[in-house]
Amino acid sequence: MFDHTSPYYIDFPGRIKAIQAKMAEEKIDLYLGSRLRTLSWTTDAFFPWRSFIVIPADGLPTAFTFVIDAARAADESWLDEDHVLGFAPMGGQDQITQISDLIKEYLPNGGHVGVEAGMSNYLPEGYLTYYEYKAFEAALPDCTLVNAHPIVDRLQMIKDIGTINRFREASRIVDIGHEAVLAAIQNGGWKGMTETEIAGLAGYAMRKAGSTFEWSFTGGNEIAAGYRTGLAGGACTPATTKKIEAGEPLMVDIHALFALACGDHSHNYLIVPASDRQLWHANNFVDMVALTLKTYRAGVSPASLAAEMMDFAESRGFADFMVPGFEHGIGMLGDEWRIGRHDGPFPYWTDPDHEYVENEVLICAMQYACPDENIGFRYENPILIQKDGCEYMSKFPLAIEVIE
Amino acid sequence: MVKYLSEEWRAEVEKRLREQLTPEKMNNLTSSLNNVYANCPDGKSHYFFVGFAEGKVDSVQVGEGDGPKAEFAISGDYDVFAKISRAELGSQRALMGGLLKLKGNMVKALKLASLSDRLNKIIATIETEY
Repeated sequence: MFDHTSPYYIDFPGRIKAIQAKMAEEKIDLYLGSRLRTLSWTTDAFFPWRSFIVIPADGLPTAFTFVIDAARAADESWLDEDHVLGFAPMGGQDQITQISDLIKEYLPNGGHVGVEAGMSNYLPEGYLTYYEYKAFEAALPDCTLVNAHPIVDRLQMIKDIGTINRFREASRIVDIGHEAVLAAIQNGGWKGMTETEIAGLAGYAMRKAGSTFEWSFTGGNEIAAGYRTGLAGGACTPATTKKIEAGEPLMVDIHALFALACGDHSHNYLIVPASDRQLWHANNFVDMVALTLKTYRAGVSPASLAAEMMDFAESRGFADFMVPGFEHGIGMLGDEWRIGRHDGPFPYWTDPDHEYVENEVLICAMQYACPDENIGFRYENPILIQKDGCEYMSKFPLAIEVIE
Repeated sequence: MVKYLSEEWRAEVEKRLREQLTPEKMNNLTSSLNNVYANCPDGKSHYFFVGFAEGKVDSVQVGEGDGPKAEFAISGDYDVFAKISRAELGSQRALMGGLLKLKGNMVKALKLASLSDRLNKIIATIETEY
């Protein structure tokens, strides 16, 4: 991964220098990152515990995590063991003391420390907590804490080729998961299966193919059968022990992780017998997805795309069943939320007028739900925005198959 | 009987460490540790520094003040260190309770914990007046 000739190579020292250049422009003397997305984007390591990264004005950053996991994180990261430190509940070794001591070494006369404060719908986001903010403020009396996360957000938005290739590989792995699910459920294989079983067999196939994590905090692999596919506005279905039943829809939304790039693709089925009405819903959804994928390109915005797609849904008579949102953000692990840069009408939500530019990656995401008829579908696929279109990374054929 | 942190105590520590710690026993370690004792009986701060080079005892120093820079620094009150030396208080408990402050890479410190115990056990055999 750290070989320059690898298709998955990312210039992490270059990323740090880019952050430092922006810090200089904005008169930030030191950046204290705490969000999972910032840790992933700067270290190339998985940080499942509360962690921080100190980025000085010049030179290498230092990451801090729970001591039980610091050696493993250092082993995965491009940073060495002197730049991935562990904290523990010991004198001088707790996170506030360790990090403050290092900041004081960098800034003996104080200065502006950029922190990451905000809010998110995404639970593992990792903004600084009120307690942490007050504790750092007390430990660093000569420093001024200022909110600086837009620096990292702006830099993360456009993906480099190494990141794009990692997403392509994660999506290839997800397709293997879908192939395994299809092979398992077809020809009556679905009988007696539960949602959790499908989640597990997809996970096993993806792990065999190299996935390191069914990364989504929404329960890993999200599987919904029957009425659960059609919960109103429902785009989150952690697998349950519900059995797959004849005559019901089945939604398979699975997640693979490859080198911190997130594979995420949803595919839908109807279990025989499929009624004409169910097939009508299915055709609506497939046509909608096809049109959406055809429409995504540089220059469109979430709002313009939604308006165009909802017009199509209205013309076909299924607008009542569509959730009028067609995307969510994606990046290296921890970056799974809004589109844009927090500068829309509602802070920390997707900016509806954000104009997509080339080499942004997002999840094309659609939810169709008809609770009255216990039917719904979901589509998710990482897409790469291009000048005249988009590349959808998961190649599992778009369809809603009727499973015998 | 030698006085804790005196030149005589330092010489005895150095002698015993050199005699009893082979490079193999010290895993051919190159590192250094500096204990800084605040609120000593003379009202001053004192230090005890020990350095290893490829497992051999390289330097043992005591003196007034904060002492030389080391890979690991442990600081606390003289009384706390004395209690640990008299086996009245465990060093881990002192660290976990915040009575001592450790500065240095915690992950490396964990790897060296058993070596540190070997060192302390030898030092504890010296008849010392606190």
